Amino acid sequence: MALTRRCFLAVGSSSILVAATAGCGHVGPKTAGASSAYNELFSVQRKGAKGQILVLMPATPQTKEVWTGLSDELGKSYDLTAVEVATKSDVDIVRTALERHRPVAIVLMNNPTVAAYAEYQRSCPPNTQFPAAVIVMTSFLDGQPNVIQNGTGIAYEIPLITVVTNLRKVLATPMHRIGVVRRAQLRTFVERQAKLAAHEKIQVEQEEVGPSPNPSELKRALRLVRQRSDALWVLNDDHLLSPRLIVEAWLPGVTERPWIPTIVGAAPLVLPGESFGTFAVLPDHTALGVQAASLLFDLADEDWKIEPGARIALPVSTTTTLDLPQVKERFTLRDGALSQVDKILK
Amino acid sequence: MDLRKVSSAAAALAIVMAARRSAADGGGRLLVYLHAAVKQRALQSALQDALAGVTVTAVGRIGDLDRSLKEGQDAVLSLPMVFAANGLTAKLQGLRQGAPDETYSLVGVNAPPDPAAVTAVGALDLLGRDGTNAFVSGMLGSQPKVERVTKVEDLLPLLQMEVVQAVLMATRFFAEVKGTSQLNLAARELPKRQPLPAVASVGPAGDAVVAAVSKLGGGALKVLGVDSWR
Repeated sequence: MALTRRCFLAVGSSSILVAATAGCGHVGPKTAGASSAYNELFSVQRKGAKGQILVLMPATPQTKEVWTGLSDELGKSYDLTAVEVATKSDVDIVRTALERHRPVAIVLMNNPTVAAYAEYQRSCPPNTQFPAAVIVMTSFLDGQPNVIQNGTGIAYEIPLITVVTNLRKVLATPMHRIGVVRRAQLRTFVERQAKLAAHEKIQVEQEEVGPSPNPSELKRALRLVRQRSDALWVLNDDHLLSPRLIVEAWLPGVTERPWIPTIVGAAPLVLPGESFGTFAVLPDHTALGVQAASLLFDLADEDWKIEPGARIALPVSTTTTLDLPQVKERFTLRDGALSQVDKILK
Repeated sequence: MDLRKVSSAAAALAIVMAARRSAADGGGRLLVYLHAAVKQRALQSALQDALAGVTVTAVGRIGDLDRSLKEGQDAVLSLPMVFAANGLTAKLQGLRQGAPDETYSLVGVNAPPDPAAVTAVGALDLLGRDGTNAFVSGMLGSQPKVERVTKVEDLLPLLQMEVVQAVLMATRFFAEVKGTSQLNLAARELPKRQPLPAVASVGPAGDAVVAAVSKLGGGALKVLGVDSWR
């Protein structure tokens, strides 16, 4: 049964906000709150380990998947301990974990964890030597490599080039011009994505909105950009994905004719019956853990030295979700397309 | 000793054992660790549909293979190089056009890459870090930095994002990868061949599962990259 718009606002949009706070949808640290108790979530210890790697992470299904990838790879060579960091106020937990484990390197998962660690760094005396840190699951990291000292990482947003390559495998419709509505704050991010996407002959059409657009402004921008695009790319920017904007701007905006596919970066935005996201491309979190482990192995080969301003890596592996009823109603599937999708919603 | 904990653990164990017996009674368990040009869900579904009574589990990462083997399986469908690394022996060898092995290609952008000149190569993670590095070096005759990925589809992003200069893949995947990209991809076929997928028996119902796999039809076989068995 299709959800009504009211139900979507009550159920769907709350899920969307949960997804956004899992690590995407926000520029910079966001979650506040009281600090938590020290809690070790997981540990892998082995004889003859080359050192200790400390993982600071919230306890969510997504971070556990990243831990699985990390520990499968690193657990054969290093001791690993995962300590729970739930909010950006958990600076004392960060300090305790570092003092207790004396790691050769650390992994930071998610915006509040990075904020807590950055605050810990600020609280240390000048010239303190910090262990190498790899940041994952942190939104819009690409473009702000100096968020912490002696840190590097892997961006969380799936590159547009990967998003469109995935969509081209599924839909028979030509995909050359991809429309995006963005705030001024994300201009640089989108332009970097456009430059990379040009390798696959993808052209990006942009419409800029104000820092806090109202539904009318967003709807107008959507109408303009959709007129000159083959598909619409929805950024995980929570300033543009409030429940009100979803219901009053996005839903009416993306269902206007002529129909074009809407590509989203959060699974809850693909909801058969509501016709918002046609296709979601999300990070493969276990593979992200493996990628982070490879980065750590590379850092070990470099004696754990990170050059200031080191390039942020892009995530390589994705999972895809498709709204099959919407696609059948509006678009044409390629032969064998469904074998190229991880999750098909019917 | 907390007797409640012990009894609930025993009950859980009994359920697991019963489930395993049930799976084995129905035809056994087949673990598939194979990279294909389709999603793992589609690979598992194609094999499950074709192997009535056999419980098929497809995994794509070496860590998942290790875990699944420890949980107990009756047969494993994978590449012989994976069997060698795990001390397993193939009972059924896949063939394509009568040959038990296939060619691999090094794929780059604009021109076929020179195996001796590439410094960074992408490859499927078949054997973990050390094993895959050794495999790539053996195939190329050089020692580039290896970027491992867990899916065939993840090889293309390595080229798109210019993380590597070339990617190594079984030649049969090249047309599929090329068809999904506007990049000018070019392949150089390598002289060394590698064995095609095979099946090993690892549990009590292994022979039954091997026999069932040997009767697989065209559609499912095509996904595996073979056309008959020996």
